[in-house]
Amino acid sequence: MKKKLLFLVCLFFAKNVFAQEKFTVSGYIKDSANGEGLIGVSIYVQEIKTGTQTNPYGFYSLTLPKGTYNLVLTYVGFEKISKQVDLTKDLKLDVELKDDSKLLQEVVITTKKDDDNVKSLEMSVNKVDIKTMQKMPALLGEVDIIKSIQFLPGVTSVGEGASGFNVRGGGIDQNLVLLDEAPVYNSSHLFGFFSIFNPDAVKDVKLIKGGIPSQYGGRVSSILDVRMKEGNSKKPQFSGGIGSIFSRFTYERPFLKDKGSFIVALRRSYIDVLAKPFLNSDLKGTRFYFYDFTAKSNYRVNEKNTVFLSGYFGRDTFGADFGFNWGNATTSFRWNHVFNNKLFLNNTVFYSNYDYALQSDLKKKNDQDAFRWKSNIITYSIKPDFTYYPNTNNTITFGGQLTYYSFNPGQAVAISGGIERTIGLADKFGSESALYIGNEQKLTSKISLQYGLRYSLYNYLGKGKAFELSASNNDGERRRIIKTTEFGWGKSIQQYGNFEPRFSANFGLGQDNSIKLSYNRLAQYIHLLSNTTASSPLDVWTPSSNNIKPQLADQFALGYFHNFNDNLFETSVEVYYKDLYNQIDYVRNADLLLNPAVEADLLTGKGRAYGAEFYLKKAKGKFNGWVSYTLARTERKIEGLNQNAWFPSRIDKTHNLSVVAIYDLNKRWTFSSNFSFSTGTPASFPTNKFIWQGYALPHNYYDTRNTYRIPASHRLDFAATRQTKYGFFKRGTGEWVFSVYNVYNRRNPFSVFVRQNDTDPTKTEAVRYAVFGSVIPAVTYNFKF
Amino acid sequence: MKKIHNLVIISLLSVIIFSCTDVIDISVKEGVSQLSVDALLNNKAETQTIKLTLTQGYFDNSAIKPVLGASVFVFDQDSVSYEFKDLKKDGTYIYDAKNKPLNKIGKQYALYVNYDGNEFVSVSKLNRVPKIDSINYEVNKLPVKPANGPQEGFQPQFYAKDFEGEGDCYWIKSAKNKKYFSKATEIQVAYDAGFSPGSKTDGLLFILPIRTSVGRELYSDKDTLKVDVYSITQEQFFYLQFVQQVSQDGNLFSTPLANIPTNVVNRNLKSTKKAIGFFGISAVSSMETIIDKNKAKPKK
Repeated sequence: MKKKLLFLVCLFFAKNVFAQEKFTVSGYIKDSANGEGLIGVSIYVQEIKTGTQTNPYGFYSLTLPKGTYNLVLTYVGFEKISKQVDLTKDLKLDVELKDDSKLLQEVVITTKKDDDNVKSLEMSVNKVDIKTMQKMPALLGEVDIIKSIQFLPGVTSVGEGASGFNVRGGGIDQNLVLLDEAPVYNSSHLFGFFSIFNPDAVKDVKLIKGGIPSQYGGRVSSILDVRMKEGNSKKPQFSGGIGSIFSRFTYERPFLKDKGSFIVALRRSYIDVLAKPFLNSDLKGTRFYFYDFTAKSNYRVNEKNTVFLSGYFGRDTFGADFGFNWGNATTSFRWNHVFNNKLFLNNTVFYSNYDYALQSDLKKKNDQDAFRWKSNIITYSIKPDFTYYPNTNNTITFGGQLTYYSFNPGQAVAISGGIERTIGLADKFGSESALYIGNEQKLTSKISLQYGLRYSLYNYLGKGKAFELSASNNDGERRRIIKTTEFGWGKSIQQYGNFEPRFSANFGLGQDNSIKLSYNRLAQYIHLLSNTTASSPLDVWTPSSNNIKPQLADQFALGYFHNFNDNLFETSVEVYYKDLYNQIDYVRNADLLLNPAVEADLLTGKGRAYGAEFYLKKAKGKFNGWVSYTLARTERKIEGLNQNAWFPSRIDKTHNLSVVAIYDLNKRWTFSSNFSFSTGTPASFPTNKFIWQGYALPHNYYDTRNTYRIPASHRLDFAATRQTKYGFFKRGTGEWVFSVYNVYNRRNPFSVFVRQNDTDPTKTEAVRYAVFGSVIPAVTYNFKF
Repeated sequence: MKKIHNLVIISLLSVIIFSCTDVIDISVKEGVSQLSVDALLNNKAETQTIKLTLTQGYFDNSAIKPVLGASVFVFDQDSVSYEFKDLKKDGTYIYDAKNKPLNKIGKQYALYVNYDGNEFVSVSKLNRVPKIDSINYEVNKLPVKPANGPQEGFQPQFYAKDFEGEGDCYWIKSAKNKKYFSKATEIQVAYDAGFSPGSKTDGLLFILPIRTSVGRELYSDKDTLKVDVYSITQEQFFYLQFVQQVSQDGNLFSTPLANIPTNVVNRNLKSTKKAIGFFGISAVSSMETIIDKNKAKPKK
């Protein structure tokens, strides 16, 4: 390890030995329409055929020998700009780029296209820009980030309506979903029907499936980095939409002489409002709604300092007498500081809370008989990230993160006949700290590397109890607690540390081809306990402890990237292999809620996932879209299940095909269509039945798991968008979106279960359960002024 | 706590109108036929029954085959034996407990089955059961016409108190107009006065959803309601929870299908001939009431 590091350090200095007089050009690149910083804009220096990219805040820095250069700025969906700079001293150069969507509809661009697909170091990274998502057909016309990314290679879901998403065979809790750098613990409204992100307030979405850079950590499968808009810094703007489920409203504007701007966005479902007149007095109090509120503000203090404050608050509420609600709240404060034109700091402080509450006397408080239950996970964190641009060939990132977790696995009060009992599961605590360093290095004009190391250190902290469990018999049965030890406040009950090396490389093969490879190790210290097919909002996050070891993943990926027709088409083929360690499963009939000894109901084992992803994208032109196909496998080997042999994980889908096609007919009409096909998920069926007390009960003689598969799923969706001349009151713009989900009315099985026939108890049968059993049309009106 | 979880989820899912189910054909490799033991006994001085059958393919809808020619005994902790006989030669082994009931509260009982040269045994315990104090009912009106029972009527509630001391388990059964609610999904079990071991409801009045669960639907004047509380072992509590879980319709939040553990074992632990099923013994306390509209409590 040491030798390797030394070698890398040498590589890094080799270029600097022959240093001549050098100057730095740096600055911010923004969208001219609204002043939003643009993420990942390519800045290419024609003379020396090298370049850089803007960071998540739109900042860039390039250090070059004295001279005159042409900088070419390209960004998908924006006009290409060329700037000549005379580098005789350090320069500040802020640039605004113009949206080219108006151009797109009239002429086919013939200038050089973006060749990022081939040239960038990133592999296993997918971006769907928000404009594309807005054109894609969506369930009930509601633009959905999580559903849209499921059309990308390597991304699946256990079934329609399930919350979250699965990346390369990982569980939904293995994705780090970041909203302005704060983790979101449940990304869904109404179970999994809609995602919690208001598309009007989202600027950028990036999914990293592999080759994960060292600044990220904490989950073993993927990073979904969602960045919110900063708010229009040019002029006040209203936008919104009226849909079948939600209505949305967004307001953004500059303030303090355009030095700052803010955005507020609100969405609320209104099934309950519409239904109200039809409900009788008993149901009048029924609550059934979900909403989210997103706000962000930024203020440019001076040239060197910018601050951002963003917040999200969302909630789902259901029920009449007996009801429950859940939701996320996040707040992040960020401070961007430019130390000098080569050193950039972003410091983030965030708070994130996911909680739910359930109570039997929601409508009217009952002191005689009631049941009230709540649970949450709270995270506090500070995260300084430095970026250092020593020269054009190296970009060094380093920093750290300190996180404190507080888990409330369940606090309940049961009142029966006036007597109150607290069913308290004690809060659990943990801390996770990390230090990292990484470098992105252009070794030669053909080879670039990204390498880094992250060290994470986790502590399971008191006040709390450590349980010692009886030895596992590998029989899948609950274990016994044989000893309980109490720990005081702040005492470390258990500590884990992990080195997490990261590496990726790009080997250019001519102009249009490249081969990329990557390796990464990731550690995850918190786990979502969920034994159901789709995760439910009541599932509880639990920390690693003396019994629950941190999950680890090693992933190797190799990819071939090729662009053709002058970069009109982008293609890639990637293969990956992943080893997963300390994966959690559950004993039979596990009790995961309000169970003080929940650790005794867990089983552990390992996992492996491998696959090949094929991707063809036409990013430009009137007709654009992509085709993605994934051939994959994900398996688990858990002590006590399936005779201790490997079995396919419940999210395993062998074939996954997605097609997204968008046709911009003219200025007024855009048509789009999605098609997806996937193999059915594995299922366990009984081989035999026995009769006990009149119940026909299932029994699997071989005691195997996931031996069978439910039928395959496929679905076609359509959407048509019509731009209107004006929005409201002859101002601004408006559009109608007509969408049809599940066009040919396929009843895609979510699961197949067996049952005793209700009317004839001597008969037993298999039943297909489909979440969507019909064609679902919808109309949405969007406006902006 | 799973019970509550399921209640919530199912009631919410029913709100979602798009879902649907239909019966399909699937093909599954059948396993080897095994002895299945259905042996629930109680402390009453009446005929006690043990049914022995053979397992068959899950989708084989032919008549269930009885196990004939087995010898079946129950022994109590004091080594008293009770023989069960298959008088009708249909796999139903009975013992008439009129004169010598199995009623030694707090004592263990063992089951012995000798079938086809294999000896199967199981042990259970006859636990204490609390008296039912009362059943009352209040006027109620449902917002929509229910599938069963009247829309306007009386909602009953029974009152009984769990014993002091953690870990008492019960199976609460009820019958409307002499007909028991017998679906697997209608199984109501209690751990102390609540739903599960974590619920810390020891020594309380059975908590509210359990108290009203016996009604299942609304009642009219003159309807009868019978409530039986059966004491069960903790093992049987988990077994019944399991039975209920595997009998539930699939939905977004189904748990993976797993085999229900049995408490009947082959005395020769190395034998490949394994039995499935469950043996349990219960003490029962009952109360029956005839709904009288004049005694109903007004709606709260």
